[in-house]
Amino acid sequence: MIHIEGVGKSFGATTVLDAIDLRIAPGEVVSILGASGSGKSTLIRCINGLEKLDRGTITVDGFNVADPAQLQQARRCSGTVFQLFNLYPHMTALQNITLAPIEVLKVPRREAEEQARELLASVGLSDRAGAFPAQLSGGQRQRVGICRALAMKPRYLLLDEVTSALDPEMTGEVLDILAKLATGGTTMLFVTHEIEFARTISNRIVFLDQGRLLADLPTAQFFDAGGGLAHPRITQFLTRMSKS
Amino acid sequence: MTFDPTILAPYLGDLAAGARLTALACALALAGALALGIAVALMRTAASAPARRAADIYVDVFRNVPFIVQLFFLFYGLPEIGLELDAFSTGVLALSLAGGAYTSDAIRAGILAIEPGVLEAAQVSGLPRRVIYRRIVLPIALRTSVRPLGAVFVNLILTSSILSAITLNELTGTAKIVAADTFQPFEVYAALLLAYVTLTYIVSLSAGALHRRLNRDRAMGSG
Amino acid sequence: MRYTDFTPNDILLLLQGLGVSAALFAATTAIGLLIGLSWAVLRYYRVPLLAPLFAAVAELLKNSPVLVQLFLVFFGLPVLLETDVTPVQAAVITLSGNTAAFIYIIAVSAIESVGREQLETARVFGLTRWQTLRRVVAPQAAAFGLGPLTGLLVNQLQVTSLISVVGVLDLTRMGAILNLRTLKPFIVWTVVGLLYYLMAKLIAKTCARLETRLRAHTAWKGL
Repeated sequence: MIHIEGVGKSFGATTVLDAIDLRIAPGEVVSILGASGSGKSTLIRCINGLEKLDRGTITVDGFNVADPAQLQQARRCSGTVFQLFNLYPHMTALQNITLAPIEVLKVPRREAEEQARELLASVGLSDRAGAFPAQLSGGQRQRVGICRALAMKPRYLLLDEVTSALDPEMTGEVLDILAKLATGGTTMLFVTHEIEFARTISNRIVFLDQGRLLADLPTAQFFDAGGGLAHPRITQFLTRMSKS
Repeated sequence: MTFDPTILAPYLGDLAAGARLTALACALALAGALALGIAVALMRTAASAPARRAADIYVDVFRNVPFIVQLFFLFYGLPEIGLELDAFSTGVLALSLAGGAYTSDAIRAGILAIEPGVLEAAQVSGLPRRVIYRRIVLPIALRTSVRPLGAVFVNLILTSSILSAITLNELTGTAKIVAADTFQPFEVYAALLLAYVTLTYIVSLSAGALHRRLNRDRAMGSG
Repeated sequence: MRYTDFTPNDILLLLQGLGVSAALFAATTAIGLLIGLSWAVLRYYRVPLLAPLFAAVAELLKNSPVLVQLFLVFFGLPVLLETDVTPVQAAVITLSGNTAAFIYIIAVSAIESVGREQLETARVFGLTRWQTLRRVVAPQAAAFGLGPLTGLLVNQLQVTSLISVVGVLDLTRMGAILNLRTLKPFIVWTVVGLLYYLMAKLIAKTCARLETRLRAHTAWKGL
């Protein structure tokens, strides 16, 4: 369970997150929607400890991310996939995936590589195990990024706008993989602009507006006129997104 | 005005020995300078302010004091505190200390050039700090710094000529003896000049080749 | 009081050495600037034959030890030209040439950083090459080149210490004399090092001040 309680974060004079309360239970697929600057990415970065909280607490399976002694364990419970992939440029796809399992989980190299190859096969990249990130397309890099996160067998998968840097064709191939993962029972927390995708695979939608949590509803309710659409900000947002 | 390079012929053996000594001293000094440079670069990019300050002072001092003064300080000073090093060792030590300031510049630039996102990915996968430095930060930084480090090596080779001032018979020191012997200093020193130019040229080319080889397939454009 | 102790007179000796170092640095920098910039201007005008010749000479001087260049001039020229060369003359010739080579490289690079479109625009407006150089290229090139120039000047200050090897009574030579007499290397060489350090910082600060002045001069002041 990820507990987010009373979380607030400011960058200088700007308040990016304000009194956020949220719970993610194992098995859920939750999408966080909102306009740019609404604090979505910052929230994810607070969960995996890349940003420090100004107010409130976040615990991941009981580990408090604000406590340096517990942060490592909190991080082991989650895996992150980034918008800009952030693959290690000097390592092959295979090495990118096996580094953390070998160094953190102490998995023997042979076993780690076997698991890595399985992961690559599941995303359709078996033949690219020895390629360096520079030799891969954006979509391929992101698929390796997903494998890298999965290799640590995380309880929670944090996905921060993972298709925003991809063109439509590559976006499709990555979304397919994510859809498979979602139906397979992986707990996922998406920050995304892909409304249709969110609608299809999430069981819950969270809406952030200027740092505040405006809605936290089951998907069907969110897109219902009486539920989420009752909020003018949400309707405004959805209309704008569907126009683009 | 006569110019007769053939007078060098009988001395080629000695000069080769001098060249070997130069090469050995510079190779050892480079190793020392790299080790020191990595340590100092890490200190200069550390979160701890005292570490940064200490490292910055070291670099500042060794960059603004002439090498020969550093050399004399060590050569004449170390015996005073009981460290009796021969000329070769003192020379290598001095070159390493001075070289370390410059290698740390190059490596620090390489560290700062690493995309922050790559470091974030390493952090969130739970990798301990030591592993991140050993497997991610240093390999990437060193790969990008190969050319500037090559320039530092060239500098080391040129600076090594100053070791002749503490009676070390490396290349320049040997040439001095040959010049005195033959009474033809112009030919000797002109040849010496060309020898150094050739040596540094080879090093520069090698650094370029090494850079290309290490970064083949790995260098990324943006996005 | 023993002969080997420090005396107040020693401060005078050091200051005298400092004066010699400073004077030689100033003189060779001025001459080097003159020669180096002239070469760069000749290259700008695309004078045939001379441009590649300068480039070759600059490369030679850049990639060989200054000490060897100094020996070549001090020991080699007298034999070659059958004339006398004093230590100071050798120092001035060598350091001026060395500085000129580096100035040339910096100037050429700085001139080339000024966008080509500026030269074309100037030509279209009917400015002569000289007017373009003076009004358009030079101010911008100066702004670009001041950074590298500062680094060069600090470096050339260190290089002056080598003239002590051929007998010039500069700061380093005074240090060697005092070291020999008092046998207190730690004190002597620390003080000498400190004096060079302070001179280097003075140069760096002066150049920084010059840079802000220069940038203010070329900055947009509004309509």
